Amino acid sequence: MNKIRKASSIALCLAVSVSLLAACGSKEGAGEKGSASPSAAEGVKKEGFPIVDKPITLKVMSQDAGKADWNQMPVLKEMEKLTGIHLEPQLSPIDSFATKKNLMFASGDLPDMLYAADLKPSEQVTYGTQGILLPLEKYIDEGYAPNIKKILDEHPDVRKSFTTPDGHMYALPFIDTAAVWYRSPMWYNGKFLKALNVTELPKTTDELYAFLKRVKEEDPNGNGKKDEIPLTSVKLDDLRMYFFGFWGMYDEKIYADKDGKVHYSPQEEGYKGYLTFMNKLWKEDLLDHETFSQTPDQKKAKGQDNRIALFNDYYPYFTLGGEPSGDNPLMTPVKSEIPGTPVYGKHPGMSANGTFAITNKNPNPEATMRWIDYLYGYEGSTLFNQGPEGTLWKYKDKENHVKEWLPVPGGGDREEYRGTITPNFGILTPGINDPEVTKGLRTDFDAWIDKENAEKLVPIGKTPFPNVYLTNEEQSEASALFSDLDTYVQQMEAKFVTGQVPLSDWDSYVAQLKKMGADRIVELYQGAYDRWNSGK
Amino acid sequence: MLSGVKETKRDKAFLVCNYIYVFLAFAIVFYPLVYMISASISDPKFVGSGEMWLWPKGITFEGYKRVFENSNIWNGYANTILYTVVGTAINLVVTLPAAYALSRRDFVGRNFFMGMFMVTMFFGGGLVPTYLLVKQLGMINTMWAIVIPSAASIWNIIVSRTFFQSSIPKELQEAAQIDGCTNMRLFVKIILPLSMPIIAVMALFYGVGNWNSYFSALIYLNDSAKYPLQLVLRQILVLQEMAAQGGGAIDASTAAAMNSKAEIAALVKYAVIIVATVPVIVIYPFLQRYFVQGVMIGSVKG
Repeated sequence: MNKIRKASSIALCLAVSVSLLAACGSKEGAGEKGSASPSAAEGVKKEGFPIVDKPITLKVMSQDAGKADWNQMPVLKEMEKLTGIHLEPQLSPIDSFATKKNLMFASGDLPDMLYAADLKPSEQVTYGTQGILLPLEKYIDEGYAPNIKKILDEHPDVRKSFTTPDGHMYALPFIDTAAVWYRSPMWYNGKFLKALNVTELPKTTDELYAFLKRVKEEDPNGNGKKDEIPLTSVKLDDLRMYFFGFWGMYDEKIYADKDGKVHYSPQEEGYKGYLTFMNKLWKEDLLDHETFSQTPDQKKAKGQDNRIALFNDYYPYFTLGGEPSGDNPLMTPVKSEIPGTPVYGKHPGMSANGTFAITNKNPNPEATMRWIDYLYGYEGSTLFNQGPEGTLWKYKDKENHVKEWLPVPGGGDREEYRGTITPNFGILTPGINDPEVTKGLRTDFDAWIDKENAEKLVPIGKTPFPNVYLTNEEQSEASALFSDLDTYVQQMEAKFVTGQVPLSDWDSYVAQLKKMGADRIVELYQGAYDRWNSGK
Repeated sequence: MLSGVKETKRDKAFLVCNYIYVFLAFAIVFYPLVYMISASISDPKFVGSGEMWLWPKGITFEGYKRVFENSNIWNGYANTILYTVVGTAINLVVTLPAAYALSRRDFVGRNFFMGMFMVTMFFGGGLVPTYLLVKQLGMINTMWAIVIPSAASIWNIIVSRTFFQSSIPKELQEAAQIDGCTNMRLFVKIILPLSMPIIAVMALFYGVGNWNSYFSALIYLNDSAKYPLQLVLRQILVLQEMAAQGGGAIDASTAAAMNSKAEIAALVKYAVIIVATVPVIVIYPFLQRYFVQGVMIGSVKG
């Protein structure tokens, strides 16, 4: 009996140790397997399809918009048929992609490639120099990416902006040379304009002020109450960049002026002009007093109640509700007391972050490069953005790439359906914005937007700052300085605008910025800008 | 109030204050619940503008309709139930024997093991090493990555151990042994039936924990078909925030997609929260009896 007791004691003891093991997050060694095998370029064709003789499988890490299973998407099936490359997706929800990506890099549990990778310049430098990301220019120049090579040759800026200080390209951007907006712009509420009989949009800050004042007093929504909000915003984040242009600043933080001199916006004279104007609006209740407390939802609710005159959104109908239409005009940037204004910080024509990269685990980078290159050409771009021919669209004139819509299978919303057939939905993917792709598919609204942009923004637009790479040391110095400066600037902006701190304190505010290293920031970025500029 | 003892004025004053206090506490706890329910059947426009603050306004069941039509949510629901049931079963199987063993004074090396357990309460392996361990055990993208690494909670083992120590008399064990009962039989036939309160409490602690957990799913799962409800829910809620920020270099179709998602999110988010919370709220009253009893025993005499 004693024996039995002993045996069961041991059993209990085992149970204890099992749970101990389970509870304790063991420091199991990071047994890293050797990096990629030497590339097996044989069997990979430089031209024609399929890309590989024998089918291969590649692991792709990406963001998931949550619309459909990637394995079932017609676009990816089509692509697999064409290229002979099967994808094994490793997805994470859009909002937690950054966490997953960091974990992936830190743990060395790498996929073969990253799609819609959202790789920041600092990540490209860090993981590129560590050898985790493969340099891509070699494959591009060796002829595995004819489409990309063509674009890079046509737009040397793109190559320059995605070449890190060590001379390699570790990531590919999304390229959209026709893009205008950097951030979503400002819109006027068309109904208010009509009610107030405004035929010409304000052209100077004084006219803008006068218009907002009228909105406040003349009840343009006609409900007999003075419940109109002339200008609304969420923490000023949404309007800052657009408004800065009225005082000659191209960007919220760092920009280069026309002569190539780098500026840090919060210590510019123009910034004082911006604060003075916003403070005036605040005092007279023309700027929404819930600016610093409301949520985007609440702002939207005000728009749908027809209470807002001037606001930020990607398209006006997102806030105001209703269908897309040309009734709510794009705000014309206004002129201030600063000479040479207004200006507009225009989109640089490519995404700031890398959208595609290949890791050192990839057994076949050549084939991968050809795979992604297809997306930078007309056919691949059409496939990934509009789906396969005959699903949502068909050719009207194949020679000239003119298309027309087909009815949405099963009725329902076109965009919703598109989200179920292609991964290029709701995320920034690698590729180009080729106007050929949407030939014949564009709506009147799209054309109207283009016209508004061409009239109001393009003539005064300039890219605020190119994609520059800081070296690792510069990056960490800049990040440290910014983390203090950003908080201080944000607090002081709110205090100046709401009048908690009078504008007469401007000089001491600038002195404080200088003490916190604002000039050093300018110096760092000037250096990087000059390096970029001389790389021409 | 009903007792025969005559109350003094101060007693009465105390009672009044007490009722006021209890009522306030109740209101504070109850208000968010009512708000949620009202918001889930109100027009998002009124919720957003703050006009809906207690009773529903612009009643619509569109949110619930969307929830019931959304296959992701149902799929998440099924996954959550599976993870919770399997996870809680594993939790109990691991926790109770460990706690009982540690409660026995004749258990060799008791202090040593207890010490080792305690270490893990204060020191963990960190996220990356833990991830690598799970990966090398081949559990990535499986249910086991969710339920195994969190199988034992030291805190719960200590609570259960204290229960066993304080509420099961040592004489019972001796009597059983004199009658020729083995340790295993003793545990299964005698100890467990006497420990219903602590089993219920543990089941509830672990169950609610499993039900609400999303982080391990976020880290270890790659396949959206395996996501638990909380992750689906989180996705809906966070996306709305992201769409609203809207900035960055996004193209028109992305912006449109984000916007339509945000509108749907506004509509369904409260309905989803209700649907996700109801099971826990429904089960709680049934276990609550044990809950109070069990925790009290554990804490008072510990």
